[in-house]
Amino acid sequence: MTFTLFLEQVVNGIILGSMYAIMGAGLALIYGTMRILNFAHGEFYMLGGFFVFFLFAQQNIHPVLAIIIAVIGVALIAALVQRMTVSVLLKREGWAFSTIAATLGVSIFLQNLALALWGERFQSVPYFVEGLLQVGQFRLPWQRVLIFVVAVAVMAAMAAVLRWTRFGWAVRATAQDAEAAAVVGVPAARIHTITFALGAGLAAVAAGLLAPVFAVNPWMGLPLIIKAFVVVVLGGLGSFPGAIVGGFLLGIVEAVGITLTSSEWRDVIAFGMMILFLWVRPWGLFGVKER
Amino acid sequence: MFAPLAPQGRLAVAALVAILLVLPLVWHDTYVLHLIILSMIFAAFAVAWNFTTGYAGLKTFGHHAFFGIGAYFSALISKNFDISPWLTTPVAGLVAACAGLVVALPVLRIRSVPHVAMVTLGFAEIVRVLLTVFRETTRGEMGLWGIPAYDGFTIPGLGEVVFNAAEKVPYYYLAALLFLGSVYAVVRMVKSPIGLALVAIRDSQDAAESLGINLTRYKLLAFAASAFMVGLLGAFYAHYILLLTPSSVLGLDLMILVIGMTLIGGVGTLFGPILGAFVMTIGVEAMRGIGEYRMLIYGALIVVVVMFMPRGLVAMLDGLGPRFGFGRQARPQAE
Repeated sequence: MTFTLFLEQVVNGIILGSMYAIMGAGLALIYGTMRILNFAHGEFYMLGGFFVFFLFAQQNIHPVLAIIIAVIGVALIAALVQRMTVSVLLKREGWAFSTIAATLGVSIFLQNLALALWGERFQSVPYFVEGLLQVGQFRLPWQRVLIFVVAVAVMAAMAAVLRWTRFGWAVRATAQDAEAAAVVGVPAARIHTITFALGAGLAAVAAGLLAPVFAVNPWMGLPLIIKAFVVVVLGGLGSFPGAIVGGFLLGIVEAVGITLTSSEWRDVIAFGMMILFLWVRPWGLFGVKER
Repeated sequence: MFAPLAPQGRLAVAALVAILLVLPLVWHDTYVLHLIILSMIFAAFAVAWNFTTGYAGLKTFGHHAFFGIGAYFSALISKNFDISPWLTTPVAGLVAACAGLVVALPVLRIRSVPHVAMVTLGFAEIVRVLLTVFRETTRGEMGLWGIPAYDGFTIPGLGEVVFNAAEKVPYYYLAALLFLGSVYAVVRMVKSPIGLALVAIRDSQDAAESLGINLTRYKLLAFAASAFMVGLLGAFYAHYILLLTPSSVLGLDLMILVIGMTLIGGVGTLFGPILGAFVMTIGVEAMRGIGEYRMLIYGALIVVVVMFMPRGLVAMLDGLGPRFGFGRQARPQAE
């Protein structure tokens, strides 16, 4: 293997890593504020993919507008789901398990709803931008450059919102201590719903950007949610910066790993890394040791 | 705390077991027997999963790994080395139990439910991908076939017992043996000091530890015993269905099915997982007419049960009165 080819692999790993990071960041945001593991996250991603397929590939709506509509649509669906299930369960005993079970049920429901409504065909979505970026021997499709740029911009915007807006303070306060936040007037239940919707919206962004790379189908969420799990474990469950670092780390390790073995080993590498991490440092890179 | 069966309850259980054992003698329908065999396998699986999750409180989402390991181990060894499945089946159980210990090791260090869920699920996914990748041996998603069935034998006075696709009765009794054996083993464990220790760990690790309960030993036991049972079931499944693919015995779908059955029946109860498995296996089969909507309904059902009947169907039986003695041990779980 030449050095250029290796470099291409690593760059592709970083780009895919940015998508893992966005998925993981959504999951981490939800976990951070509510302490729940959202098993339906992959299905919000899948719904985002179908939004973009119908709006952009079929109706020829401009991709930027299509993704914005997808994000809003998915966020609204997620808010509804959160209100009907998670929000109710959080008030009960045994919520850590019951919320996992409920979101797992939602995941199966949405997956099969998509199957019933839109069939099992793999729907392809054209590239938003054509052409290749070429530097010497090094080649990269502009679509992938676009994925990376948008991903970084979205994550930066998200981080800025959390850091500098009143809403962001409210989210972080709720994450630290929901009861104490409620005492000082933060509407914790509303913050929970909005955060859940926002996390799902991030999944829809990833879906919109990746739709042209991977085909859109009812099962497209599964591989991504599993990667998102790995990412949040690496970064520390509930840590937003941790998820971003974890996403890039996973992308790069996978890319290097599969150039050394073969692409079939991708998932083995990812899960092996997760289990190793849980063994050595269960609270992740950025998480706090919970006892 | 554990009085699972009042005298009337014992009578009811004895009657159910008798019906189960007599049924194939009076009802010869192959399809019905097949459905009950599957129900028994799923019921035993759900009981074993519930032992780890509902009693020991270790919320695992990767028990299908042990089913797949048992199935593939027994199938590959008996096929490639020409060893009788009667021998490879119990060994497959032991191999699954060892795998259970391996999974339990990282679980020992973590307490948060989401972490346990992810590490167990991740382990199962690794096993699935490995079976897909080593396709020279396992044939991957093409499917492993040519798995030997159990050898026949002769029972003096009754005649010859043959295991093949057309003859379900021998398989039925073998499945009944595994099913009743698993339930009996779990009942014995739950009623023994082991069960009390496990429930104590589930309800409060710190309190249990301060009372001198060895957390490590009991958690490892909960995983290994449960994995052993599930491994046996997987091996039986391999020699019964005679065709394996990684997605059929190691797919997340299988785990979801078992979780759904247990939730619908009632987590942390003895009778719940069994009831759930029978109701769902036969119910899903009855719903076959509506094709692709089956899983849609299944997903919705899980949500509805979690939201509105967190104690499952056994809680409703409880409402029928303690006369039947079922499910009285059903109680909401502490986290």
